[in-house]
Amino acid sequence: MSEVAGQFRTLLPRESLLWVFAAQFVVLLPHFAHLPSWLIFAWFLAVLWRIEVFRGRRAVPGRAIKLLAVTLAVAGLALTYRRWFALEPMVALLAVSFTLKNIELLSRRDAVLSLMLAYFLAATLFVFEQTIPYALYGVLCLVVITAALVAQQGSGSARVGRALGLSMKILAQAVPVMLILFVVMPRLGPLWAVPNNTSAASTGISDSMSPGDFSRLSKSDKPALRISFDGSVPPPEQRYWRGLVYTHFDGRRWSEPGVTGNRWFGRRFHSTQSSQEDDGRLPAVGPRYRYQVIQEASHNPWLFALAISDSDTRGVRSTGDDTLVYHMPVGSRLAYDVRSWPRESATAGARLSPAEERRHLQLPESGNPQARAWAEARRREGMDSLAISQSLLARYNRSFTYTLKPPALGADTVDEFMFDTQQGFCEHFANSYVFTMRAAGVPARVVAGYQGGKWVEQEEYLLVRQYDAHAWAEIWLPERGWVRVDPTAAVAPERIRDGLQSAVAEEFMQDAFLPLHKIGFINRLRLQWDTINYRWYQTVVSFDADRQQGLLKRWLGEISPLRMAMFLGVPIAVGLLGLLVWLNLSARGPALPPASRAYLRFCQRMARAGLPRRSGEAPGDFARRIERELPALGPMAARITVAYERAAYTDSKDALKQLRRLVRGFWPLRQLAKLGTAPAPHQSVGQ
Amino acid sequence: MQKIISAIVEDIGKVLLGKEHQVKLALACLLARGHLLIEDLPGMGKTTLAHALGRVLGLSYKRVQFTSDMLPADIIGISIFERETGQFRFHEGPVFSQLLLADEINRSSPKTQSALLEAMEERQVSVDGETRPLPEPFFVIATQNPLQQSGTFVLPESQLDRFLMRISLGYPTREAERALFNGVDPRAQLAQITPRINSEGLRKLQGLVHQVKASDSLLDYLERLVQHTRQSAECGVGLSPRGALALLHAARAWALIHNRGHILPEDLQAVLPAVAGHRLQTDGGDGAQLVERMMHQVDIIAA
Repeated sequence: MSEVAGQFRTLLPRESLLWVFAAQFVVLLPHFAHLPSWLIFAWFLAVLWRIEVFRGRRAVPGRAIKLLAVTLAVAGLALTYRRWFALEPMVALLAVSFTLKNIELLSRRDAVLSLMLAYFLAATLFVFEQTIPYALYGVLCLVVITAALVAQQGSGSARVGRALGLSMKILAQAVPVMLILFVVMPRLGPLWAVPNNTSAASTGISDSMSPGDFSRLSKSDKPALRISFDGSVPPPEQRYWRGLVYTHFDGRRWSEPGVTGNRWFGRRFHSTQSSQEDDGRLPAVGPRYRYQVIQEASHNPWLFALAISDSDTRGVRSTGDDTLVYHMPVGSRLAYDVRSWPRESATAGARLSPAEERRHLQLPESGNPQARAWAEARRREGMDSLAISQSLLARYNRSFTYTLKPPALGADTVDEFMFDTQQGFCEHFANSYVFTMRAAGVPARVVAGYQGGKWVEQEEYLLVRQYDAHAWAEIWLPERGWVRVDPTAAVAPERIRDGLQSAVAEEFMQDAFLPLHKIGFINRLRLQWDTINYRWYQTVVSFDADRQQGLLKRWLGEISPLRMAMFLGVPIAVGLLGLLVWLNLSARGPALPPASRAYLRFCQRMARAGLPRRSGEAPGDFARRIERELPALGPMAARITVAYERAAYTDSKDALKQLRRLVRGFWPLRQLAKLGTAPAPHQSVGQ
Repeated sequence: MQKIISAIVEDIGKVLLGKEHQVKLALACLLARGHLLIEDLPGMGKTTLAHALGRVLGLSYKRVQFTSDMLPADIIGISIFERETGQFRFHEGPVFSQLLLADEINRSSPKTQSALLEAMEERQVSVDGETRPLPEPFFVIATQNPLQQSGTFVLPESQLDRFLMRISLGYPTREAERALFNGVDPRAQLAQITPRINSEGLRKLQGLVHQVKASDSLLDYLERLVQHTRQSAECGVGLSPRGALALLHAARAWALIHNRGHILPEDLQAVLPAVAGHRLQTDGGDGAQLVERMMHQVDIIAA
């Protein structure tokens, strides 16, 4: 074959080219959101160039241009991404190679290579998103890529309906394999942690609290946590999901030293792997609540749990402030198991160290004189910590209102709120409460997290949304340790009991574009959708090595190589056997007419007697050959042959009966033995 | 009826010694209302066979020796202006006969060949816008020299297809040749042949061919043979439906000649080389070998 002919044979036809581009587009589309925009532009340029090549308007780019393109792309990547060893640059690198391959997409081999890369790139989608819509989109990608592969076969395979149809058929056939592999494929832990992009905007509770933060959160109904309990469930007024503790106040903003942005440099209490070592923190009695929290991506490392909690989940640590943190920002949904103890059971006899006490009494040098004066006055009246707290709460209860739209505050936020506006949101209450308590000399801190949650009945899990974000306070009482005080509860107890919606009825989600939350049906629909999402996460996404082991153990009893082999082998063997039977049945064609069957039996017996009928030999010819070579059988063979010919070729019923009778009584070997004639040696009559 | 058939075969056998099989094939071809192509070297008795057939069947017989300068009018006829009547009168060509021997058909130009072949297919000729039916029955026996010989025009496949059978006579057996040497004069024998049947009887015989039964088992076999030609890589072109039908008809006639009211696989196998051989011509070899192989590959009973 000449070189020219070879090239023509493998040169890509138009349909194949279009299919490859379609597959690339489908795969790249979801990546457009986070890929640098110059890369998208480059892809379109490469595709355009390739189309121009196809139309004969431009030459295939030479070595120099290719080199230039590679250099530009690498330089672009280097400029776009500072850190190389992260997921996004890697995906971008893949996309770049994908893009550049287009300009030398000449032969069928190149097309197949490009499509294989497309499979890979489609898989990287799940690094970023693992929700149901993305899973469906992944399936769509598979269908299109496979169809593009099908289209490379030429001769009409590129027609849209045919390619897609075949592709779907192939993928449907692959589903059982997929399911089996999903269950039995060993789940390898990550060999190395590829850091996800950390610059994504964090959502939910942030590293600091300044006025307005929480009312912003109250406008979002995105899910934040899903909590399922194993055993007892805390009552609504106890559902405080602690996330962060703020101890530092600069006059306007509460923050925590060591926590900036989404980085955690705070003190880690211990790593959970060695939980035996620091039993001092955890009570000796068993935990009261066991639950699993599934947290949505927040791009922050802090996790949410009830007071005094501990987690065995890998990567989760406890902090000195009784909160949990993850070893890196939570970039995708994360599930962690938590055990919680009530505060009362733990802190008998605990003491606050002087450093801790200083930390929790910190206040700015100046500002908010009225609040400080009010606290001083209470102190001078001889009240103890608890009494001061109660009188403050009583004050809230008397004359404050709970609203999502408080008036703006000036420089002295606490004073203005306490003595002027008296309208506010949880953060205002927590802010002023902790400030005042500290001014009165009581160690106090602000705690941010979520409060409450809505039951999703069928699944028995608690759905906590962003608008459940809440801020409250904790004060140190020498005899009781840290005690939670929620000043908001003093003003609007229904906020704690029934959630935000009932507390601020009119104001709730007022800015929403469509007030969908007011329509019961849609609310129900959204809850159901959430349930589906939860199940998806529970059964598919979080199917890790542990759960795999558990499932296999439940199915197999024990996980031994033999049982695994049986588990895999038996269905495969059964499937293959079924296929074999089916192939056999379908290949046999219509059943033979009875005359032919009887005649074939005659032929078999003749073959055993050493004289097989040759392929294509007519019955008459065969009978004559028998007469010639085994004269002893001749007359009988002739009668059978005549009967067969009449039965098969004149459709005579009598002849069929006769044929059957004759064949039944025809035993050539016996007959030959009786006559003492040895059957002819096989070789002489073989073909 | 059977007596007549065996007498016919016997009569021709006297002229064409030791060629019983070919004679029967030729007869079967005529009984199946098909045209016959005899392909062989000169001097093998092609013309004699045609002649003998014509005589024994009592058919009006004409012979045309094809040459390269022949025109269609030489076969079909021509309208000539007659001074006396002042009109054109059609002078019938040799095609207006019951048995036409087209000798060495591949020596003439394709133009003339196709004129004849059209008449064979339509059983009528159109001259000057007037359609004239040919006599009934109408047979063409064409002879042709093997294609390697010089001065021949190859018959295209479409025209080969018009012939129901193509047979070749081959060299005579030793006994037959010895008889020739011993002075048995075929020409004299030919003169002695008297018609055994008339046109009416021939038509009746042809009618009987259609009554020969072809059972489902046999049609299965036929179908598998035809499918084999269409699927096998060896065959360039498979048998057309017309070819398959020709095979069935020829097998019927063959069964009738052997005094059977039904077709046996042997009948199909007997006519298969003659009917299918020229239709399956491949680029390299001859169709006959292909057919031979095919008969071994396709069993008479579906496996």
